[in-house]
Amino acid sequence: MLAPISVNLASLNFMTLSPMLIAIAGALGILIIDLIKKDLDKTLYVILTVLILFIDLGATLGLSLNDRGFFNLIVVDGVTILSEILILLASMLFVPLALTSKRFHEYSYPEYFALFLFMVAGFQFMVASDNLIMIFVGLETASLALYTLIALHNTAGSHEAAIKYFTMGALAAGFFVMGSAAIYAVTGSVELYDIARVLQERMDETGLMVTILGGAMMLIVAIGFKVSLFPFHTWTPDVYEGASSPTAGYMSIVPKVAMMVVAIRVLGMYIDLGIDTVRNVVIAMAVITMTLSNMMALVQDDVKRMLAYSSISHAGFVMAAIALDTTKANSSIFLYYTLFLFTNLGAFTLLWISRHKDKTHHVRYHHPYVKFSGMIHVEPVAAVIMAIFMLSLTGVPPFSLFWGKLYVISATVDAGYIWLAVILGLNSAVAAYYYLKLIVYMFLMPATDKTRTVYNNRSLALEIVIGIAVFATVTSIFYVQPLMRFVTALISASGY
Amino acid sequence: MITLNHYLILSGILFAIGLTGVVRRRNLLMLFFATEIMLNAANIAFAAISSYLHDMSGQMFAFFIIAVAASEVAVGLGLLILLYKKYGTINLDDFTIMKG
Repeated sequence: MLAPISVNLASLNFMTLSPMLIAIAGALGILIIDLIKKDLDKTLYVILTVLILFIDLGATLGLSLNDRGFFNLIVVDGVTILSEILILLASMLFVPLALTSKRFHEYSYPEYFALFLFMVAGFQFMVASDNLIMIFVGLETASLALYTLIALHNTAGSHEAAIKYFTMGALAAGFFVMGSAAIYAVTGSVELYDIARVLQERMDETGLMVTILGGAMMLIVAIGFKVSLFPFHTWTPDVYEGASSPTAGYMSIVPKVAMMVVAIRVLGMYIDLGIDTVRNVVIAMAVITMTLSNMMALVQDDVKRMLAYSSISHAGFVMAAIALDTTKANSSIFLYYTLFLFTNLGAFTLLWISRHKDKTHHVRYHHPYVKFSGMIHVEPVAAVIMAIFMLSLTGVPPFSLFWGKLYVISATVDAGYIWLAVILGLNSAVAAYYYLKLIVYMFLMPATDKTRTVYNNRSLALEIVIGIAVFATVTSIFYVQPLMRFVTALISASGY
Repeated sequence: MITLNHYLILSGILFAIGLTGVVRRRNLLMLFFATEIMLNAANIAFAAISSYLHDMSGQMFAFFIIAVAASEVAVGLGLLILLYKKYGTINLDDFTIMKG
């Protein structure tokens, strides 16, 4: 006979759940509005989504640090708050890209925005928990919504991209649950703090290390698929090419940040326990990812594919910091991705503006390098802005990503991995080649056919988004120091 | 006597079958089956360990995996129907335009 369970409502601590609840309620609200009155303009839904995300951000900022709720399922620590702010900020900046001057299939459905909010809620669940069940459910909620968003673009490429991402995501889910099962077999728990405690006690038992490492490797594979680490990165360029530019840009930031938070929690636990194999595997994967994707990016003909490989290499760069597991390294991850967000936002928005329904310059690609040749003569402002983003991605000093790279490399040196710092530096130098290639095309090549480089997708909303991105990229020197202090304070407050 | 190890070995074999299926299959429907096998392999492991340890959280995880697997099929079949309507095939090799 089971005893009746009584739960005190106050002990649930509903406040910790409020950010996700706002996103979910907002998504349901959008669906209900569509039920009541059809054929409302997409502008309404875009503004509504941004508004809901804004309220969500307010709720996130109102969370109290180092709090737990819902039977310890929800964790609110510095990492949670930082990543949620980053996720919401990125979402708020990417949603207005729907306000193009041309009509696109996906934005005519209100469901697009509902799915978008469900996805954001999924990512928030993922970063706000150290329970493996919760992480898994959040991961799948977000991924399933994301597959649908990619497919909604409704071109041959986007269907293929969705199916490829779906297959890879299903594989990653399989590996994640198998890894969790291995951990559960050893520790009898699915809560990370409990797992760490049991592992600490049982680590020295003979024959157990195989299972512990097996579980760790499966989780690394799952993380590798989502963060696109070598050898699990193969889907990334194809999916980016097939998806619409805003979705591709979004995918280069938010899912990766969410998965990196999981990596900080899970892999950080192994590294804290002194299991060096995990650290070595992650460092090896990070180094190979960076080097290989930089090589691959050199030979691409399409700017979007080049940016896909570039985002793989940036992910590898940051994974090296995760392997260090120091406070400085963990803070530099968030600094890096905040700066990367604005730069990539700008670059992908410019590609989005130049989107034409016909492939004008190439049989397969929408954005080949040739399309941008001589852009300085046709669209001088756009060319200069694109050049700024490319220089920032390269890591040229006054622009934002330089500071991100600087902090990551200095964290590497502080942790005593001089050789890793050298590799990180060398890779940044190699990367300069393919970013500068685009600048050469824009500034030094003659314009081919002026009418063809017309930026026909331009609208005021997109120009404002680009303006924000340019501002954040150029003035980074003024806010990097306080930003770093804020990030470090939050990270160290919860002991990472 | 069937012990925990038997269940775990079964789960490992099923996982390997599923993984091979995902890597080798070219038919999308078969590929979805393979991913389901992978998730169900984990279900067996969780249920067995949970019963062995007299701990409920493993069975809870298994239930969540079932729910996630169902929703994954819903989205996957939606994509599959879309592809079949557009291209008349569910063979992966037939609509690969992006390579390299």
